[in-house]
Amino acid sequence: MTMQEFRARAFQYALEQGCDAAETYYAEGKDFEVNAQGGEMERYAVSRTGGLSLRVQLGGRDGYAYTECIDDPEELVRRAMDNARAIETDDEHPMQTACTYAPIDKKSCRLDGMDEEEKIALALQLERDTLAADARVQRVMYCEVGTSEGHTGIHNTLGLCAERESRLAYCYAMPVVQEEGQVQNALAFRIGDDALDTAACAAEAVRESVAKLGGEPVPSGSYAVVLRNDAMADLLGAFSPVFSAEEAQKGRSLLAGREGTAVAAACVTIADDPFHPYAPHAFDGEGTPCVKKNIVENGLLTTLLHNLKTARKAGCASTGNGVRASAASPVGVGPTVLYIVPGEQTLDELLADMGDGLLITELEGLHAGLDPVSGDFSLKAAGRRIVDGRDAGAVSQITVAGNFLSLLNAVERVGADLKFGLPGSACVGSPSIRVRSLMVAGK
Amino acid sequence: MIDQRLAERVLQAALTSGADFSELFMEDTVSNAIEMTDGKVENAAYTRRHGAGVRVLLGARSAYAYTADTSEAALIATAKAAAAALKDAPKESRIVFAAKGYAAPMAVPFASIGNDRRVALLGEATRAARAVSQEITQVQARYMDKVRRTLVCNSEGVFATAERPYTRAFVSTIAMQGTEAQTGYEAPGCCRGFEAYSGSIDVCARAAEAAHTAVTMLHAPDCPAGRLPVVIDGGFGGVIFHEACGHSLEATSVGRGNSEFCGKLGQKIAADCVSAVDDGTMAGEWGSIDIDDEGMPGRRNLLIENGVLRGYLIDRIGSRRMGMETTGSSRRQDYTFAPTSRMTNTFICAGADDEEEMIATMGEGLYAKKMGGGSVNPMTGEFNFAVLEGYWVRDGKILSPVRGATLIGKGTEILPRIDRVGPNMWMGQGMCGSLSGSVPTNVGQPRIRVTELTIGGKGGVL
Repeated sequence: MTMQEFRARAFQYALEQGCDAAETYYAEGKDFEVNAQGGEMERYAVSRTGGLSLRVQLGGRDGYAYTECIDDPEELVRRAMDNARAIETDDEHPMQTACTYAPIDKKSCRLDGMDEEEKIALALQLERDTLAADARVQRVMYCEVGTSEGHTGIHNTLGLCAERESRLAYCYAMPVVQEEGQVQNALAFRIGDDALDTAACAAEAVRESVAKLGGEPVPSGSYAVVLRNDAMADLLGAFSPVFSAEEAQKGRSLLAGREGTAVAAACVTIADDPFHPYAPHAFDGEGTPCVKKNIVENGLLTTLLHNLKTARKAGCASTGNGVRASAASPVGVGPTVLYIVPGEQTLDELLADMGDGLLITELEGLHAGLDPVSGDFSLKAAGRRIVDGRDAGAVSQITVAGNFLSLLNAVERVGADLKFGLPGSACVGSPSIRVRSLMVAGK
Repeated sequence: MIDQRLAERVLQAALTSGADFSELFMEDTVSNAIEMTDGKVENAAYTRRHGAGVRVLLGARSAYAYTADTSEAALIATAKAAAAALKDAPKESRIVFAAKGYAAPMAVPFASIGNDRRVALLGEATRAARAVSQEITQVQARYMDKVRRTLVCNSEGVFATAERPYTRAFVSTIAMQGTEAQTGYEAPGCCRGFEAYSGSIDVCARAAEAAHTAVTMLHAPDCPAGRLPVVIDGGFGGVIFHEACGHSLEATSVGRGNSEFCGKLGQKIAADCVSAVDDGTMAGEWGSIDIDDEGMPGRRNLLIENGVLRGYLIDRIGSRRMGMETTGSSRRQDYTFAPTSRMTNTFICAGADDEEEMIATMGEGLYAKKMGGGSVNPMTGEFNFAVLEGYWVRDGKILSPVRGATLIGKGTEILPRIDRVGPNMWMGQGMCGSLSGSVPTNVGQPRIRVTELTIGGKGGVL
């Protein structure tokens, strides 16, 4: 059965059975990845996947059913209707109707056009470059080149037809470096055409790994801190649920009802820009046209992120932030391309400005050591000690602790070095920022 | 799922470019999930995962291809896509299957109950949490059940089907006062049918515990920071061993020389009072596997005996790299992942020390009653994990609950510093993420004491 036939039969059966509306979300993927190890192709994976999520509306209630076996549309409708009957909330979740979308200019990249042989050769080159970058490199723990192509389609009985293609090409390397019996490792990645510059990726991975050698904890206490761009982007991403109207409406966000008030220092502007060239897209996970907005502008919270359901409840318009964590997940709320808008100072200037303190280059345990509801975090960290604005050696085995909202309020400077993390369901970026102080536990 | 003749054609197609081993994994998994917020069902979803993966090996090199389309043409194409990674001359081999079937017991199948029973369970949990305190402002209760049906067959003649039920209930609570909020969380689960909820899982008691944690933490000052003794309670406290040691004993790390425990079999790596086991054979437990995802029966594997390293967790590729036998430890989230060495039910064995004495004689430090998640870098052994419910101890007495504590350290440093192991071992449930995706695992231990650990916190003063 083709996807079109499956969809047509599901829609027809759903309407016959008394559903008010029905919607399908179909996601198809074609992925390739290869790992090099010891001069050979070591791990190789290639895949074609596809799954369809059906959502029905029955008496104002939504029910979902998802399948990867495209064989029985009527059974899927029955499952979804059964789930709709279990819903007790009165919050309505409207479906999007037919829309027109802004054209998206997607640059194609050379890796997309390469065959498997060329991609394997690139992974082997990345390993050679990494091994050659420094005498202290013992081996390369992970050395991967990958491409992924996706097709997403959202269709419903109200006339919505939203389809998009997506592509991602990347490489990453994680060397193991050793000196005086101590080992360290760190990861660097490149996406798009930058992934062809294996030497640059290798050099960064090795530089980051070597920098961690000889790290020591500092004495426990309160320190002035610069959070480097990648560490700050990780933190922002982990706390991004605080900007969700869904979390706010469920009493799970400290920003509930704070629109129009100051939630950060005046130098902080946080944008959600779906059209950012890093990962542009025209519509969200329920087919609503995307819009660019500043969530926080000069410290003031201008809006939370909405999908059609939270917008209906709040009496506003969707901000185009309906997301599906996976094709099998119900529509939730999340950012698109989320980042702190960069300022003007370089990282060196931020450090010179700070004088004495810590540069945090890495935060770990982000899935466990923080609580988006309370905003509290206490995370394992690594970085550099800064004395008189200059590097004074590696710091490791410490934790930094604080509260995310307090941190946003304590930002004193925003750097110019905006950097994004690896694109996932959302992309999160930040420049380096300087904060007044964070609590550090060390020796 | 597939007859043996087709299975053989697929496995042979995968061998055409010189692989010395081929394997076909098929899956058809059905799950139901319901989410209740504040006593009202907000989402209900049905999910059917269906697909197949073909893996080929040549020495320690591997290629994996997977597809959601399980027609014969697609399976053969997938086998050829995996084979395309290798460029050797084909090897002749005849495959003679020895069929085996495994089915974990399920007294009340999920297919036999309606959503009303699932919803009723969440309603009870919500009411139980709310009943604890008026400061509980939010209760989110989620329910999941799943039946995982798989077939694994390979060019060495394995042809094994398996069917395993899973169910889990999650309760998260928020206690709020002014602008301050604290949370609590419990998530019991097991490898049984719906009968679990009238037997091994008391959802209401666990919901009340989650509420108690949130309310206690709401009135707790910030945790002081420093290097001090730490007592870690049993159950999910075993996450410390899982992170600090378990991951570094997986062939994924050891087989590539990426573990601090490489080459240390037979050596002392922990204090005398520490013995630890990974046991996939415990009936009905969340991490149990009757067979692993390469078709090997699950096993009880001794990892540490009285402080001495006795074993690793080894899958087929790991076995080839390390020259050691497999340990029934090969797992994968689903057909979209090639399998690798993973933990099942991993715990520190019961000891003989008194639970009260270890607090009474610790002087000043932290009693970590409930642990959250954590992570480890197996290369360096550096780990971190969060304390969900902690108490500050001074002069051997519990002084006050404290919030926001984190524990960090290195595996090789913490294991020799365990100086007390209590007599009662129990386990907690988690989802463990690694190369082959997210799999259900149990962590466990009795109450233990560590003589010194770095406690991270906001630096509260008590």
